[in-house]
Amino acid sequence: MIRIQQVSKTYDRGRSFAVQGVDLEVGAGELLVLLGDSGCGKTTLLKMINRLVEPTQGRILVEDRDVSQVDPVALRRGIGYVFQGVGLFPHMTVAENVAVVPRLLNWEPAACRDRVDELLRLTGLSPRTHLDRKPDELSGGQRQRVGLARALAARPSIMLMDEPFGALDPITRDGLQREFKRLQQTLNLTVVMVTHDMTEALLLADRIAVMKQGVLVGTGTPRQILRNPSHPYIAALMETPRRQADQVESMLRSGGEGQ
Amino acid sequence: MTETALADQLRLLPDYLGHHLALTLVALSSGIALCLPLAILVTRVKSLQWPVLTVASVAQTIPGLALLALMVPLLGQIGFLPAFIALLLYSMLPILRNTVTGILGVAPDILEAAEGLGMTSRQRLFRVELPLAAPVIIAGIRTATVWVVGSATLSTPVGATSLGNYIFSGLQTQNSTAVLVGCAAAAALAMVLDQLIRLGELAVAGRSRTKGWLAGAGLLFILLSTLILQIPTARGSAAVVVGAKPFTEQYVLAEAIAQRLTRAGLRAENRSSMGSMILFDALTAGHVDCYVDYSGTLWANVMKRQDLPPRRDLLNQMKAWLQREHQVRVLGALGFENNYGLAVPRRKAEALKLATIQDLASHAPQMTIGADFEFFVRPEWAALREAYRLDFGEQRTFDPSLMYAAAREGVVDVISAYTTDGRIIEYDLAVLADPLQALPPYDAVLVLSPAAARRAELVGALEAFDGAIDDGTMRAANKRVDVDGESPAQAARFLLEAVGLSPPAKGGEGSDS
Repeated sequence: MIRIQQVSKTYDRGRSFAVQGVDLEVGAGELLVLLGDSGCGKTTLLKMINRLVEPTQGRILVEDRDVSQVDPVALRRGIGYVFQGVGLFPHMTVAENVAVVPRLLNWEPAACRDRVDELLRLTGLSPRTHLDRKPDELSGGQRQRVGLARALAARPSIMLMDEPFGALDPITRDGLQREFKRLQQTLNLTVVMVTHDMTEALLLADRIAVMKQGVLVGTGTPRQILRNPSHPYIAALMETPRRQADQVESMLRSGGEGQ
Repeated sequence: MTETALADQLRLLPDYLGHHLALTLVALSSGIALCLPLAILVTRVKSLQWPVLTVASVAQTIPGLALLALMVPLLGQIGFLPAFIALLLYSMLPILRNTVTGILGVAPDILEAAEGLGMTSRQRLFRVELPLAAPVIIAGIRTATVWVVGSATLSTPVGATSLGNYIFSGLQTQNSTAVLVGCAAAAALAMVLDQLIRLGELAVAGRSRTKGWLAGAGLLFILLSTLILQIPTARGSAAVVVGAKPFTEQYVLAEAIAQRLTRAGLRAENRSSMGSMILFDALTAGHVDCYVDYSGTLWANVMKRQDLPPRRDLLNQMKAWLQREHQVRVLGALGFENNYGLAVPRRKAEALKLATIQDLASHAPQMTIGADFEFFVRPEWAALREAYRLDFGEQRTFDPSLMYAAAREGVVDVISAYTTDGRIIEYDLAVLADPLQALPPYDAVLVLSPAAARRAELVGALEAFDGAIDDGTMRAANKRVDVDGESPAQAARFLLEAVGLSPPAKGGEGSDS
């Protein structure tokens, strides 16, 4: 579905690299998580897939086509994108936000309306109560659902997601993560998701790609990453969720009084 | 002020308001049409931002009156065009700055979302940036609207009729009713336009059809009334344009000329309160057909002569020169002189034993002299100082209408008075003699533009003014306005009757400017 081949990005003519020599493939229907600290280049790599950022070297193929040969506007309309901080248009209603891409693609108004209703139900919102609201009248979780609906509107087979659940409280996040996983499997979406949250990565990903200082240090299923880390950095990263899980488990066993 | 005084003023409202509206609407809509694209360009090409906004800011720092006056020599025209260009420049800064600020203020994550969803740069502009910047842009347009409506009152001195006609002539003739009517009308117009734009904004933001219709209907009403109010001036383009400088005697004379022309069956249009130099240029260019000027003024300021021949010689030389150089015809000297003279309150003159300017010289260093805006830069002042070795302690400039009061109140000791001003008698001022004849004579002369000079019926109607008005009658007519509170039209009727140019049987009809 997506093939990233020897891709590098530098903003200072090669003195430093935001992304350096990354090779990565994402299969159809796969949910790949790009994991790493902030500044590791994961968001830059994500944005190069739909050409919000142009690579300095290497190439990226989406459905076997070199993206540098595709009109960026058409490319972006065909790929769903959920932005960090959602990025809903504050002057548009929920319905208008969701229908942005279908309108850009000149769908019939009736088709747009039907699709908006369908998507709101799919993402757990009620068309009747939410259709005409403005983004600032929604809760954080509702806004995130609208962002998701907007990304799905034109039935893309690929979704790019930049810290989609980052700004939510833990309970809302947990619910939304599970709903999304189900949705992704139902729709057989190919997803590249950026996060720095190790637990999120482990719980959602089919495969995790770990980045450090612009370089891909290793990939693997959550189980592989957790059990047989291929790189000391990955092992160090996994230390935190492992320790937290152990603490929670021991609390459960001892009856849950303090440490 | 009486009810009739108010009714007199309101009769002029349709004409002034119509011109004011036309000027404002054309300037504003051109400002918007020009500045919105320019501002959008500036947000795309960052290097243009500084130069464009700086030029607009500089235009804004020039005082409105100066900006308008500057446009006259720059464009070589008077009337609508210079006023329009100046107001257009004036409207630019708020629209430009607010549009740029509004567009650049759109949050970067919103812009990235627009780009990431596959909007082209044009779609981003029209679907995201402009709608989000709209409140700031509209605030700028509203600011510009209020400014332009206000500044348009300043277009009177460059020969464009506006509500400023009320204010300029009202200030000069101490007619507070006229000033109030002008200010109130301008303020009301500014408020109505501002609220209509706000209504339109609310209609769009709240998607309210009712408000939209209301705003649309209001705007349509204003457009239609502008057109209707313009019709009387559009019809009969052969009107004789009578100019006047901004002081009482000029208003009275312009009215008297207009009344004579009306009686002769010609349509006259007064263009009052124009700057002194602008008026002569307008005459040579044919924008004004006739006005009254003064020989000494033309001699020094237009002919740039510094010598002073005797009165008769000066008049004859001037007539020949104007005809030769500008094809301007001097129809005749009206008969009175309105000289510059140094005047002091009579009690002070007696106490200090001042009879001539010579007597003043030794007291001058302890004295303050007040004058109108131009006097201290005119060649006459230099000549006067040199001839009598005058060296005043302080110089202050005043609006001519306030200068006399300043002398009476003792704010200044000496003023550069006009010798036909009615307030010299009223305020008991003494005009000091000029034994060295340093000041030139200022015979009032009626000058005609080249085109007007060729119109026999016009020349026929105005010839009778030659030598008709003496100093005393002119001063009496001026006093009726400045002291007694009559309108210039009333004083003009008195003047024409007093000098026998208006048979009482036919009297009574006025002139509508």
